[in-house]
Amino acid sequence: MKSNLGKRSDIIWDIFSSVKLTMALLIILAVISIAGTVIPQREGAMEFAQRLSPGLVRFFNSLQLFDMYHSLWFRVIIALLSLNLIVCSLKRFQVTLKLFQALPRPDRSKPFENLPLQRNFQVEGEIQEVSGRVAEYMRGQYKKIEEKDTKKGNFFYGYKGRYSLFGVFVVHLSVLTILMGAIIGSLLGFEAYVNIAEGESADTVTLQKSRVHAHKKLGFSVRCEKFTVNFYDTGTPKEYRSDLSFMDDGRVLKKGSLLVNHPVTFRGITFYQSSYGTIPGDRVRLIVSRHPGEPKTKTLGIERGHPLPLPGNEGQFEVMEVHGNLKGMMGPAALISIKPYQGKEVRFWVFKNFESLQERFPKEMFQSTILNPSAFKPYTFYLKEIQSKYYTGLHVNKDPGVPLVWMGFFMIVMGLFITFFTSHRRVWVRVSKDQGKIRISVSGKANKNPVGMERELDHFVHKLEDLFITER
Amino acid sequence: MMINAVILSYITFLYFVSFMFYLLMMVMGKDLFGRVATFITLVAITGHTFGIILRWIESYQIGIGHAPLSNLYESLIFFAWTIIFLYLLTEWRTKNRSMGTFVTPLAFLAMAYASYSPGINSSIQPLVPALKSNWLIAHVITCFFGYAAFGLSFGFSLMYLVKRFDQPEKKTLFLKLIPRSGILDDLSYQMVVIGFLLLTLGIITGSVWAHSAWGSYWSWDPKETWSLITWLVYAAMLHSRMIRGWRGKRLAIFSIIGFSCVLFTYFGVNYLAGLHSYAQS
Repeated sequence: MKSNLGKRSDIIWDIFSSVKLTMALLIILAVISIAGTVIPQREGAMEFAQRLSPGLVRFFNSLQLFDMYHSLWFRVIIALLSLNLIVCSLKRFQVTLKLFQALPRPDRSKPFENLPLQRNFQVEGEIQEVSGRVAEYMRGQYKKIEEKDTKKGNFFYGYKGRYSLFGVFVVHLSVLTILMGAIIGSLLGFEAYVNIAEGESADTVTLQKSRVHAHKKLGFSVRCEKFTVNFYDTGTPKEYRSDLSFMDDGRVLKKGSLLVNHPVTFRGITFYQSSYGTIPGDRVRLIVSRHPGEPKTKTLGIERGHPLPLPGNEGQFEVMEVHGNLKGMMGPAALISIKPYQGKEVRFWVFKNFESLQERFPKEMFQSTILNPSAFKPYTFYLKEIQSKYYTGLHVNKDPGVPLVWMGFFMIVMGLFITFFTSHRRVWVRVSKDQGKIRISVSGKANKNPVGMERELDHFVHKLEDLFITER
Repeated sequence: MMINAVILSYITFLYFVSFMFYLLMMVMGKDLFGRVATFITLVAITGHTFGIILRWIESYQIGIGHAPLSNLYESLIFFAWTIIFLYLLTEWRTKNRSMGTFVTPLAFLAMAYASYSPGINSSIQPLVPALKSNWLIAHVITCFFGYAAFGLSFGFSLMYLVKRFDQPEKKTLFLKLIPRSGILDDLSYQMVVIGFLLLTLGIITGSVWAHSAWGSYWSWDPKETWSLITWLVYAAMLHSRMIRGWRGKRLAIFSIIGFSCVLFTYFGVNYLAGLHSYAQS
């Protein structure tokens, strides 16, 4: 039973330590990602789904094909890849560590078998003296030198760039670090948005991820003091800018200008300029005529909450509410309140499209006070326009995983550089007696870039030769 | 049309002429043609560099100064420049001109597409707010040098596949002049390594930039996703060579698939909606 269990875990270990699996997973991820760029995701999915049959939509939905990068099975594939990466790295690490610690005996004869002619040359002199100078030169070139004097000759072994062996682990670790950062971000962070009109403030934002529009309290409030948009002469946008104030308990704690590419962070939550738009503002222009039929009319601007005297001074009037499209069908409207010095307050809506409304709706409807622009005699009010104001659309984000992701980015660049552009280079040199002269043989090996190693050995031999020629 | 665009449209023809000379060298086997080809390519890249710098200066003269790396026209011009720059470096290092026949057409096509396609606007346009960032230059330069390295690897892989038709008893000069398969395999791999490092840097700079512009370092925008796909394909290729010891034909085909992904990341993505829309015209 025990051995059976051991065998099974061996099989699992074997599967996850295979590079075939890695390549298969990399290709599968690539193919799935392709599908994700062809099938519209998230926001784009609605429109696409309308062109499909209901059955197909249900099928797509059940497989989470409209949000596949966040689906369970996509995460499972990523998890499999991570597991594969960990197991492969662990397995390889043991081998690499052995290679890293290995100190081959300097007097091995194998490196010197089949040595090309140019790696062999003869010099004059005493063997100990020549060996000493070879050793001295090698110490300048390589990190560590091992020596061994034998009957067959004096042997030297030098190496450099041992750490190059670990580059690949730095790369693999960096991928895991980035994934870890992404997990932390999705667990502890949030992405949301909020629209704030000029002069108004918000203390809650709408979360993006959830299907039901869940809200989140910020714990402070943000006020949009001003929004500006500039255009080039050609009409393309030049700059979007929101001037924001961050407030708590009614006190302004921070002010900042938000631009695209220049986010503002307050208490760990970052705000990004994302969109903008216009909404009906508080200022309206009204046409007021006294005595119906009389040509004498007056156009005046009035702000919500700021009463003005009536033209005939019978009392005061005020705009109570402004609406861009009342009841979703009646168009721009303003609620007027008139407070005469004698008598009761009168309230009624005035509409911008009054004439067309009269055609669309029964006439009796406009006899009631609340919809009658002539409800306060002898005046008639008309709504000329509502002056609009800007709102700024902010992307609100908190992501504690970002520092890890940045660290992963740094590591992956370092790791790739170490892996591909440095190498573990080993050199063997033999100094031996040969027919009354001294023969020097040079051999070397590198874990990658053999061409570069050959070049280095050529250079090495050349320098050694120079060392003995200058003496003569 | 501004002067820089006029100069750059002439450079297009120079690349075609240099391609013709490389081809003549390969067919006739005369080294002189090869030397002329290299000379013309050097003249062309000098003019090309001048044209890019002039465009930069002209953008400041009309008051919307920015590095000429902001739309499809400018990126194509820069892409052709990086290909030729990397090619000349390789030619100089390997002392072999036969690769010119396979690489200069890439630069010529990119330049011709930029200068003569009716859908591409060569005028200097002001930067939209999203592009106003110091990351623009780092992002575009790393990406396009990466693309160019992959392009060269693609060229070497094609040469490898062509070279397979060469047999000792055959006397086709064109095939004889192509370097040994081993050298091509090695060069192709080295270019993929360089390209992979640069693509990684390109994705990273783009990601850091996206974090400050859009508030998220990764949003699965089609261009992001396709650059990841390209990255995955080349990662698989590197593993296949380093761990499984794949060489030769299989790797050449891998490199060609990889470069098709690069091209789709560059052009194909424009047909899918996304955040990178400013790179479309």
